Amino acid sequence: MTSLRIRLGLGLVISLVVMIGLLWLTVGISVRILMEEQLASRLAHDGESLLGGVTIDDAGQVSMDERRTLGIYQQPFSGHYFQIDIEGQIIYSRSLWDEVLPVPAVTFGETRLDFITGPQQQSLLLWTRGFRKHNRVVQIAVAEELDTLLAGMRSFKWRLAAWSLALLLLLLLIQRYIIVSSLRSVSAAAADVARLEQGDISALDERVPDEVRPLVTAINKLLQRQTQRLLRSREALGNLAHSIKTPLTVLQQLASEKIPANDADAHAQLQSYSRQINEQVGKSLRRARLAGDSLGVSHFDLRTDLPLLVDTLNRLHQDRKIVFQNQSGDLAQLPIEQQDGMELLGNLLDNAWKWAHSTVQLSVEHHTTWWICVEDDGPGIEAEARQQLAQRGMRQDENIPGYGIGLSIVKTLVEELGGTLEYGTSKTLGGLQVCITLVKYP
Amino acid sequence: MRLLLVEDDPDLSLSLKRYLGKQGFAVDAVHNGVDAEFNGRETPYDAIVLDLGLPLRPGLEVLANWRNAEVTTPVLILTARDSWQEKVQGLQQGADDYLAKPFQQEELLARLQSLIRRNTKTVGNPLAVDGWILDEATQSVSRGGQRCELTGVEFRLLRYCMLHPGRILSKTRLTEHVYEQDADKDSNVIEVYIKRLREKLGKDIITTRRGQGYVFGKPI
Repeated sequence: MTSLRIRLGLGLVISLVVMIGLLWLTVGISVRILMEEQLASRLAHDGESLLGGVTIDDAGQVSMDERRTLGIYQQPFSGHYFQIDIEGQIIYSRSLWDEVLPVPAVTFGETRLDFITGPQQQSLLLWTRGFRKHNRVVQIAVAEELDTLLAGMRSFKWRLAAWSLALLLLLLLIQRYIIVSSLRSVSAAAADVARLEQGDISALDERVPDEVRPLVTAINKLLQRQTQRLLRSREALGNLAHSIKTPLTVLQQLASEKIPANDADAHAQLQSYSRQINEQVGKSLRRARLAGDSLGVSHFDLRTDLPLLVDTLNRLHQDRKIVFQNQSGDLAQLPIEQQDGMELLGNLLDNAWKWAHSTVQLSVEHHTTWWICVEDDGPGIEAEARQQLAQRGMRQDENIPGYGIGLSIVKTLVEELGGTLEYGTSKTLGGLQVCITLVKYP
Repeated sequence: MRLLLVEDDPDLSLSLKRYLGKQGFAVDAVHNGVDAEFNGRETPYDAIVLDLGLPLRPGLEVLANWRNAEVTTPVLILTARDSWQEKVQGLQQGADDYLAKPFQQEELLARLQSLIRRNTKTVGNPLAVDGWILDEATQSVSRGGQRCELTGVEFRLLRYCMLHPGRILSKTRLTEHVYEQDADKDSNVIEVYIKRLREKLGKDIITTRRGQGYVFGKPI
């Protein structure tokens, strides 16, 4: 059980159900006890006034002053009964109608309360007490029917249950609201993380509850550190490139000045070696400069970065009037870091610009993976040469028409970014088509 | 053609200055960002070669300052930083071309020539005015079967004139574009070279406008 919401919700539901259940039971039992006590005290009252109505004459004859009894005891099976036992002589209330109550024997001063079944299967509460009058033991039993009361109790219990249930539901709703609203900021942070992965934002919103804030702050700090590190390492790599390539240029210049022009071998060798150094350095630097799938970096934007790149290409190739067609639809961003995207598309489009007659087209599609395709209307690459390219590394690629050093760079970049590269013939433009599938990016 | 070369490596700077000088450019070399900014702002160069990693002031900042001060001289960035991000930055800052180190001298020359042509709106290669065709490789000029060899200064002067045909070119302007900073700038020398060009190409090729300067070819 890893969901906070389920855990909190379940805990609250269980504790609420137990609490409301206990409340219902307690209230039910208390009300019942209270009513029985009330009833018993009334019965005791009636019993005592009956005792006042009992007369014993000198002959020991027992009689009952009917005026002292309430009318309710006169009606047959009225639910109110008494039965007085004076040492074997028994006086029955008229309401008993020849029935006899099963009265337990009590001694003088003893009081009992019993639940019994009386005439016509009535449930009765029987109050019995032993008295002494004129030196004779008088045992008075008074009973009252309980069915009406029990029915009332039952309907009360149902009503109580209904109200408790309603209360329970209300409380559950309130609690659900509290849980959802307090977890909303957590869900907001989770949504932020998703946007971070998309590259829409570069830091998480720190306006979250105190409990989550340390986590969010820690993530932000990490992201910031990572971005700084990327920035610093790119800066350092730029300096390294500068410190290697300038001396390399000087070497080349010196060689072309000092080595006699007729020593073609020496020139060729020098060119070859310096090119190798340059290529190796360039390859390593480019690889080190890649941000890859780091979080919190801004992504290549097709609406702002691409126009800049296209403008740059138009300026670099001013003598060539190239029409650029952008088929990226509504897509706003590529899933790769901004400078990575610059490098990738820069090299791809630069190659297309070099070889195209008049038109270069970029298509970007995003279904389950990302698909980036650059086509031109230049000479293209023959199928045989394409096959060689796929098998061979980066050397000698410059000899293949339609293929510049830029595409070798693209190949390395795509491999580093975890994608695949395919060469083909453009169906619409007829020239070279280079397609990249970014496998790793959903 | 007067050129500002901004490069902090003294060896590279020297060797480029020598090479470009041989190709008929008057080259002023500076080695830091502050000097570069001052020179670029004060002197009407025909092109500037700018390194980005400079002492005192970064190359991109120098470039931005020139463009803000409405210096429109074409700028070629010559740098070891060859990422596309940096290319885009450089060109968005107002550069006209970008060449990554290491490079071949011939490539730099070709880029500079096309940059200057583009800037003077002179289309076509080789440079041609009134049937005269300038061969920049051999520093000579020809029309029909007639062919004239040119000295260094004659070549520079003729090239500048051919890049601005039909326009009035003052002696000062010609001096500025033909000689580098520390050269002996006597404007009377220009008269001598104009006379020599007239001798080689014919009297009518250059018209004198008294008090204004010279016009090469037919006036516009």
